[in-house]
Amino acid sequence: MGGYGDVKLLRDDGLRLDGRKLDEMRPVTIEAGILPAADGSAMVTHGLNVAVAAVYGPMEAHPRKIQRQDRAVIDVRYNMAPFSTSDRIRPGFNRRSREISKVTAEALESVVLVERYPRSKIRVEIEILAAEAGTRCAGITAASVALADAGIPMRDLLVGVASGKVEDIVVLDLDKAEDNYGQADLPVGILPNTGEIAFLQMDGDLSPDEYNLAMEYNFKAAAEIHEIMVDALKRRYEGGEN
Amino acid sequence: MVELVPTLLRQELARLADDDLRLDGRGRWDGRDVDLQIDCLYNAEGSAKVVMGKTIVYAGVKFEIRTPWPDRPSQGSLMCGAELRPVAHRKYEPGPPSPQSIELGRVVDRGIRESGCIDMESLCIVPGEKVWGVMIDIHVLSDGGNVFDACGLAAIAALRTAVVPAERFDVGEDYTLKVNGTPIMASFTRVGGRYVFDPSEEEELGGDERIHITLGDEGHLHSLQKGLRGVFTPAEFAEIFEVAHQRCSELRKLVATQEGN
Repeated sequence: MGGYGDVKLLRDDGLRLDGRKLDEMRPVTIEAGILPAADGSAMVTHGLNVAVAAVYGPMEAHPRKIQRQDRAVIDVRYNMAPFSTSDRIRPGFNRRSREISKVTAEALESVVLVERYPRSKIRVEIEILAAEAGTRCAGITAASVALADAGIPMRDLLVGVASGKVEDIVVLDLDKAEDNYGQADLPVGILPNTGEIAFLQMDGDLSPDEYNLAMEYNFKAAAEIHEIMVDALKRRYEGGEN
Repeated sequence: MVELVPTLLRQELARLADDDLRLDGRGRWDGRDVDLQIDCLYNAEGSAKVVMGKTIVYAGVKFEIRTPWPDRPSQGSLMCGAELRPVAHRKYEPGPPSPQSIELGRVVDRGIRESGCIDMESLCIVPGEKVWGVMIDIHVLSDGGNVFDACGLAAIAALRTAVVPAERFDVGEDYTLKVNGTPIMASFTRVGGRYVFDPSEEEELGGDERIHITLGDEGHLHSLQKGLRGVFTPAEFAEIFEVAHQRCSELRKLVATQEGN
């Protein structure tokens, strides 16, 4: 974490700079089936973050050496658009996006019923169009709605959420200032129905108690986002459109 | 991934062409409906989204301060790049920029640059030391045919909304970028033996060569490009050139309408 104590992130009334309570999430909207060329797709806005995910497949796995005889492989690409951040990002893969892609793929492989599709590949493309802290979580949420939209069987919908710590206080869903100047960030991918965790990263400094509280916040937020995800998928298939 | 070109699709397109019809029922020179949104991305200094049928494209403008080229000490720079991301279609694979996306970015870049709509001198901050570099990045999210026109439109619309972030770089107050003109691209593909405007995905798959024409406000040509295998006659060009004039001025009006809102 970049932060040190000199930037004030909590107001005197105990609320956060943007007026949120400690355990309050930024607004989330989700739309499924937004990309006509893809087999499944979704757009997630989480605060000011905008994440788009597309799913292609299952398809034949190429090159052959990536094939698994007993299951499908999930090929995830997390990419930030050059204009998604305050300073332009050079197009192309960097170390950060490679790592996020890898752990996101592994998280999704733990949720998708990959045994159903031996020797095949499922391509998941995550594009971040606007970034304001928490893009990997928005990307995970978008990816799992896109997978569901593509009709790929899963044990549960994977939900990406994060909590962290600012001014020694645990808060849910860090915004950009809190991420830059806060003391810890705990992004996780939660399966709300089973209560399991498929994605976990953390950096900064958290005591065991703080970790427990942060995780409690994460589970609470995951349940809220899960409802929005289910609602997006229902709207997509109940409306009779498309 | 190699797209198989279905013989049956080619035959069907040729049969329709004999009766001057198109797969989706459009007339030969009809474009799909264009939905243009401007200023739609947080963090980009200028932005636009274009939806044309199944094609979805975003463009975002970013600025950076750089030292000018030694031979042009008082001129800033403009760069336009396009990415055909794997998100956009199953035929696009990850990896370094493909020749296709490089061509796309460069054709759009030339149209904007050569129209002279950006005065490079106006991008100078301190001669010989500091100038603005303007970068237009185009992100193709869904390729449903004719990404060239969608990218061209998104790029110029985004550029026209751009605000120079001078305060963030500590070189004065933010101001709206001065853009003199709206260069617009019109693209044609040979389908079933004759050219059509604004090809769909199927028409591109079962079609042949394509021609891209970028016209400025006065109807002057600013960029031309022929892509893929095939030849055309001067008479054929004269015909599509006429159509390009009409379609470009319609799209230019659409940009103006969106800006008026």
